[in-house]
Amino acid sequence: MADPVIAVSGLTKRFGPVLAVDDLDFSVGQGDVCGLLGPNGAGKTTSLRVLVGLVFADAGEARIFGHRVQPGDADLARVGIMVEESAFVPYLSGAKNLRLWWEAGGTRWAEADAETALSVAGLGDAINRKVKTYSQGMKQRLGLARALLSRPDVLVLDEPTSGLDPGEMREVRQLLRRLSDGGVTTLLSSHLLSEVEQVCTHAVVMDKGKLVAGGPVQELIGAGGTVYIEVSNVRRATSTLKKLKGVGRVTPEPPGLAVELDGIKRSEVVAALVHANIGVETVTARHQLEDAFLGLVGEE
Amino acid sequence: MTGVFRTELIKQLRRPRTFVALGIAVLIPTIATIALKANPPAPQGGDQGLFALAPNSGILVAVAMLRFMSRFLLVLIAALFAGDSVAAEAAWGNLRYVLVRPVRRPRLLGAKLSVSALLAITATVLVAVIGLIAGGIAFGWSGVSVPFSGLSQSAGQLLWNVVLATLYVAWSLAAVVSLAFFVSTLTDVPSGGVGAGIGLYIVSQILDSISSVGSIRYALPTHYLDAWNVLFFGRGPNADMLRGVLLQVGYVVVFCGLAFWRFQRKDILS
Repeated sequence: MADPVIAVSGLTKRFGPVLAVDDLDFSVGQGDVCGLLGPNGAGKTTSLRVLVGLVFADAGEARIFGHRVQPGDADLARVGIMVEESAFVPYLSGAKNLRLWWEAGGTRWAEADAETALSVAGLGDAINRKVKTYSQGMKQRLGLARALLSRPDVLVLDEPTSGLDPGEMREVRQLLRRLSDGGVTTLLSSHLLSEVEQVCTHAVVMDKGKLVAGGPVQELIGAGGTVYIEVSNVRRATSTLKKLKGVGRVTPEPPGLAVELDGIKRSEVVAALVHANIGVETVTARHQLEDAFLGLVGEE
Repeated sequence: MTGVFRTELIKQLRRPRTFVALGIAVLIPTIATIALKANPPAPQGGDQGLFALAPNSGILVAVAMLRFMSRFLLVLIAALFAGDSVAAEAAWGNLRYVLVRPVRRPRLLGAKLSVSALLAITATVLVAVIGLIAGGIAFGWSGVSVPFSGLSQSAGQLLWNVVLATLYVAWSLAAVVSLAFFVSTLTDVPSGGVGAGIGLYIVSQILDSISSVGSIRYALPTHYLDAWNVLFFGRGPNADMLRGVLLQVGYVVVFCGLAFWRFQRKDILS
């Protein structure tokens, strides 16, 4: 098995009396898109900050490309980073911000992947306006552009779609998929579970600074989850499914019913309904990761 | 010029507050010279006396402006440049993005400190140069000999002493710059660093005026602030000027040392 691109082991960080991250372990393999999930205060942002050398761990370590991360490391040139909301020098234009940020690393602007970055930013002529005139969404897009300037091998993104409209969010998801297909490893934190479910191959769930669960998203969701099935006869369907092994709670919600899967496949449920001469109109997965997440962190 | 120094310099030079601060350093000597030309003051003692002597030689306008501006406005400008250099970037949230570049923290901090110091020196030099130019236009550049004042120098001597005085005044701001810079690395509130620099100056001035404070006064950063006056009204550079220079070295070593030590270990949470 290849060495992980990102490896966090025994990571612990305390701010005064608050234990922000508690003995955290996880790793991300090359080309994986890993979602870092957890409720507010779970320690996600602190973990990302340690990973990019902004915060010092009290114990444990974070490695990228096998090297322990230190502030100002040369390896950081291969990492595209977005930590919390995007921020810039407000009185400079978007273009000037990108250029100065890039050149501060001792690299020439000609070496930057400005074309890709500017197309991601999609700001048009506004790229030459002062950043203080930008909306939050524009800043976020410029932040993504900045993260891509170095043609990064690794992306560390904290809430990358925050402040974006639905169309822009979809574009970002498509971009992340394209980058992943090209071998870019991504670690992203997000509150949007549907986004993680759509984009991420893997997920790490944190709560109160600790690792709660981690692994491929499909494994985390498991065979479980909830499906909504639109049927021709809700009463009979409910009665049929309640007798079926591997089915959890069945909740009638006309014109269909919500069915909790507990070890049974969707196809088996549909087959049972059809066998009972009940018409099945649609089958829709319902908040699978959300259910798994809430179950893992023990929230209602 | 290294990338990080160059980018820091561009950032500061494009800041509106830099234009305002350097504009003050240009405007006040200009306005003061126009006022002196239009309404020459009667001979008096102290700072007013220096202004009253200015019509004897335009070079003395620079001397008077250095004296007047070093009492507060240059301190304010120096504290402004140093006090918000790191804190302002943290307040914008941009510091974390600068620090994820492959640049070591001491190098970044060194660039920020150098740019702050350079701007403070620029402001001091501007006061002297604009004073010289405006004074020269208004009153000409000539030597002066004022009976009973101790001032008797050729134009060449005066110019050389203005150069020395400018360097001394600029270096006298070092303690303020160093403390403001150190505090700037501790806070995300730019006014905190600026206030600390100005606060140091005010407290030092107050304590220095209380004779009961005793020998501690000799260690106060403003104690030798006016020692350069001997360049014009004495026999040239003396031991007090040397003490003033060395005293600032001590403050620079302590405060800048603390700034680098602290920033190297700081968790960036802004």
